[in-house]
Amino acid sequence: MAGSFGSVQSALSAIRYNAVALDVASNNISNAATEGYVRRRVQAEALGGPEVPALWSRYGGHGDGVRVAGMERMVDGLLDARVRREHGALTYLQTSQTVLQRLENGIGEPGPDGVSQALIDFRKSWSDLANNPGSDAARQQVIGRGSTLALALHNQYTNVTGEEADQRVHLLSAVSEVNTAATDLAALNQTILGLEINGTDASTLRDSRDSLALRLAELTGASVTVRPDGMYDVSVAGQALVTGDTAGTLAVTGGVLPDGSADGGPIVLEISLGGGSAVVPAAGLGGETGAVVELLSDTLPTYRAGLNAVALELATAVNGQHRAGFDSAGVAGGDFFAFDPTAPAGSLAVAITDPALVAASGVAGARDGGNADALGEAGQVEESYQRLVNTFGTEVAALQRRTANQAALAGSVDDAWEQQAGVNLDEETVAMMTSQRAYEAAARLMTTLDEVLDTLINRTGLVGR
Amino acid sequence: MTIGRVTQRMLTQGSLDSVQGGLARLARVQEQLTTGRVLNRPSDNPTDTTAAMRVRTAIGNQEQYARNAQDGLGWLTQIDSTLGQVTDSVRKARDLALAGANSGALNQVARDALATEVEVLRQGIVGSANATYLDRPVFGGITSGDRAYDDAGTYVGTVGDVNRRIADGVLVKVDVDGLDVFGTGATSVFAELDALSTALRTGDNAAVSTAIQQLTTRIDTVVSARTAAGAIYERVDKAVQAATDAELALSNDLSVLENADLAATTVELQLAEVAYQASLAATSRVLQPSLVDFLR
Repeated sequence: MAGSFGSVQSALSAIRYNAVALDVASNNISNAATEGYVRRRVQAEALGGPEVPALWSRYGGHGDGVRVAGMERMVDGLLDARVRREHGALTYLQTSQTVLQRLENGIGEPGPDGVSQALIDFRKSWSDLANNPGSDAARQQVIGRGSTLALALHNQYTNVTGEEADQRVHLLSAVSEVNTAATDLAALNQTILGLEINGTDASTLRDSRDSLALRLAELTGASVTVRPDGMYDVSVAGQALVTGDTAGTLAVTGGVLPDGSADGGPIVLEISLGGGSAVVPAAGLGGETGAVVELLSDTLPTYRAGLNAVALELATAVNGQHRAGFDSAGVAGGDFFAFDPTAPAGSLAVAITDPALVAASGVAGARDGGNADALGEAGQVEESYQRLVNTFGTEVAALQRRTANQAALAGSVDDAWEQQAGVNLDEETVAMMTSQRAYEAAARLMTTLDEVLDTLINRTGLVGR
Repeated sequence: MTIGRVTQRMLTQGSLDSVQGGLARLARVQEQLTTGRVLNRPSDNPTDTTAAMRVRTAIGNQEQYARNAQDGLGWLTQIDSTLGQVTDSVRKARDLALAGANSGALNQVARDALATEVEVLRQGIVGSANATYLDRPVFGGITSGDRAYDDAGTYVGTVGDVNRRIADGVLVKVDVDGLDVFGTGATSVFAELDALSTALRTGDNAAVSTAIQQLTTRIDTVVSARTAAGAIYERVDKAVQAATDAELALSNDLSVLENADLAATTVELQLAEVAYQASLAATSRVLQPSLVDFLR
């Protein structure tokens, strides 16, 4: 002990330290449920003799109390990186799954309202006309059922093109969110570096920066590298998006126009950073953006093309057979279906309005149902359509399984992160109790010292009085 | 996996996940129960979905085959009864011819009466030859007109088969060609009857004998056409039965593929409910206490 008041000083340091410890516990408890909050731990350091021995100096004490050595933020960079990676993969799958499930609900198979049933009804109506080639009602029915079938295909086609339009807008909004997050992250890089050089605790800002990095990973599958000075570098599919305090800009430069319409070309994403720009390879893109690009460049166009192929096959076969027959006036039949060859499923419609023009007869001028019978057999696109639906259903089912697996994986990584960084109320209660008791004991020490000094000052030197 | 620390947020998240999972399972079972179907979208089971679509197509086909065959039966029934009448009429005419051939016992007045009766029969046969089913002359082939024969006994139909598709790839002819039964012009049953009535009026016994010969042959022609139509009737009738049976069997298949097993689904609902309640109960007990409640 150095001097009479040394112990008072060390008791004071204990009071100060424990007040801080209580403060930290209080902050941890307050943020027990805060998303992205990493628990803090106050580090204590015992005060002892001089660190630098000086000539002739001698330290006679054994410790001078305690002080706050620093604030520890309980993170693990490796775990953070895993969380980002698994969340990027999960968002990728979830985005695809949501879109495809929505599309799937519009297919309506198997059931009484889908394209499949419309095809069956259409072919049945030709059979009915073959049975009764003179009947206007049967002719009208063929036209009606043909329109229903065209409409059923049309509906699915519209669902797909509508989804494509939505996803183009989705891509643009995701890209703009990426840019905001990248700018904020670069700014935080700079602020955190500055604050920590000054010795200020930047834990809260670090929490925010980690949240932004996670969001960027969810949006693009971005990966983060930590620089020696503590700043985060973010790269998307191998292309730098943020370097230190400089943020680049991600932009859609091909495939989608700024108003969300398609320009017909493939989708191209580019990052401009520091004057130059680089194309982001679609293969390395993950997260929400990666999923949307994949949907727009592959999944949705493939299904659309499948529908078009079914419609084209149907229309070609029916038209070909229809031209081989004769209408009720004995004139050779024309096209039954009209369509735009660039988008058959979207434009399919019955070309005939006058029932008399349905070419049911195989013999000119006779009341024959031969061609109607042949038309019922023509255009058997059921198999192509079933294959299309099966492929799509399998894809959705596989996606659901993968999403469930990835969700479980991400969940376990989240758990590991939470074990490291989460707040446990019991633990905080214990810390609180420890600090409180230490505070009380330090205060009691002061009283003790006070009494000791009182004895020394006021009750000594009274001998013989 | 080792659990190092358990935090309140972990408990909350875990409880929320299990409650959500329980609810999702309940929702799935509920969907199956309310729709009564296990296949509500292709991804529920892509293979079964394809199978269900195939079965639905097959059911549609069988329904249509049954309809086509029923329609064919209508034609064949009409043909059968008409040919029955025609046989009777021709046989009656031959009987009259036989009576007329007995020249010694009959005077001209009686033969004229016979001739008149033959003419009436001839008119009846013209009517039969123009018999229709749903406004189409059943002996007129694919004619777009409404008669197979004009009053002079000339064929005015269009030769062509009226077919019905009664099974996969099976077309049957459900009409009878009038030319095969009645002939046309000079070689028709009408010309034969005309010749008979003329012969009876003129007392030409040789012509009456010729007519008897012709009518005997004609009866054979009509009867054999009727028999042939009867055979087809039987075949089409069997096809109706086959298509109806197939439709029933396929509907069963479809039900197995698409429909929810009520008992199994109800039990599953019960299980899902228990699991959900358990996760709710667990949540309420896990989230409640902390050390704060016990340290005073």
